[in-house]
Amino acid sequence: MPSNYPGFKYSGDRETFSAAKVKALESLLIEKGIITGNTVDTILGYFETQMGPFNGAKLVARAWVDPDFKARLIADCNAACQEMDFPEGMSGAEGEHMRIVENTPEVHNIIVCTLCSCYPWPTLGLPPYWFKDPTFRARVMREPRVVLAEFGVELDESVEVRLWDTSAQIRWWVLPMRPAGTEGMSEAELAALLTPEAMMGVALVEV
Amino acid sequence: MFTKFEHFAATSLMGSTEEAPPRQNGHLRFDRDWEKMAFGMAIALSKQGHYEWEEFRQTLIATIGEWEANHDLDDPEWDYYQCWLAALEKLAVASGVIEAGELDAQLAQLINCKER
Repeated sequence: MPSNYPGFKYSGDRETFSAAKVKALESLLIEKGIITGNTVDTILGYFETQMGPFNGAKLVARAWVDPDFKARLIADCNAACQEMDFPEGMSGAEGEHMRIVENTPEVHNIIVCTLCSCYPWPTLGLPPYWFKDPTFRARVMREPRVVLAEFGVELDESVEVRLWDTSAQIRWWVLPMRPAGTEGMSEAELAALLTPEAMMGVALVEV
Repeated sequence: MFTKFEHFAATSLMGSTEEAPPRQNGHLRFDRDWEKMAFGMAIALSKQGHYEWEEFRQTLIATIGEWEANHDLDDPEWDYYQCWLAALEKLAVASGVIEAGELDAQLAQLINCKER
């Protein structure tokens, strides 16, 4: 947007203009002692290191390499989270009841939700745009295979598709199948393969 | 249930497609460095109590509403963080963090500096 400052020749390059404006605001706030040079970095750091699908990926990767852990994760997701070294507030210990459902060669699970507050953010991070879209929810309920195909997931006719309505009471998420060709991978390498979409059941894990 | 203000701030914006920031793979998506800075400053000022987060949210929604009223819905010029920056500027002035005109003066100084 053009500046009101008459001395500034607005070149039409709003990129440069916006960048300069943000810089100017930042320097003003620092001059006034309202923020310091790293206030914003600290805030952004939270989003980069804590508010993402990190925890879900770690849980799934461990479940893939440790069958006993997998059994505990499926039986009691919150308790399994306690075994991990997660940051405070990210373990589901705040009364958010999480449950995980396992994809198998016979059953494919998808989570749906109408309220974004029901999204299992401690494990999956921020929800994608389309997740809250009423059209997405209606369509996935009515024609899950068509919606899955649009996401690039082609399932054999024999595979049963199950839908899980995640809610304030139970926040469902999906334990995807471990892809072939990952036998020699470490837990960290496996975790890096996971996406929120895979843990929502609208994508497969790809190597 | 919210243990962090940052988490509260981000999730409170997820109410509608318009007001929610761009995301990718469960993360916030920033295409340009200044977006990050604008995002972080808006949260920082509210976290320090200069305005309620809900005030920022409503200002953002109103700013987006104004843009939509003046443009086609598929206008390629649409830019979420331009609206975000405009909302931040409005609230920074309204809450008295900066004075009206102060930002433009600083901006002019910054630009003149560069030109010299």
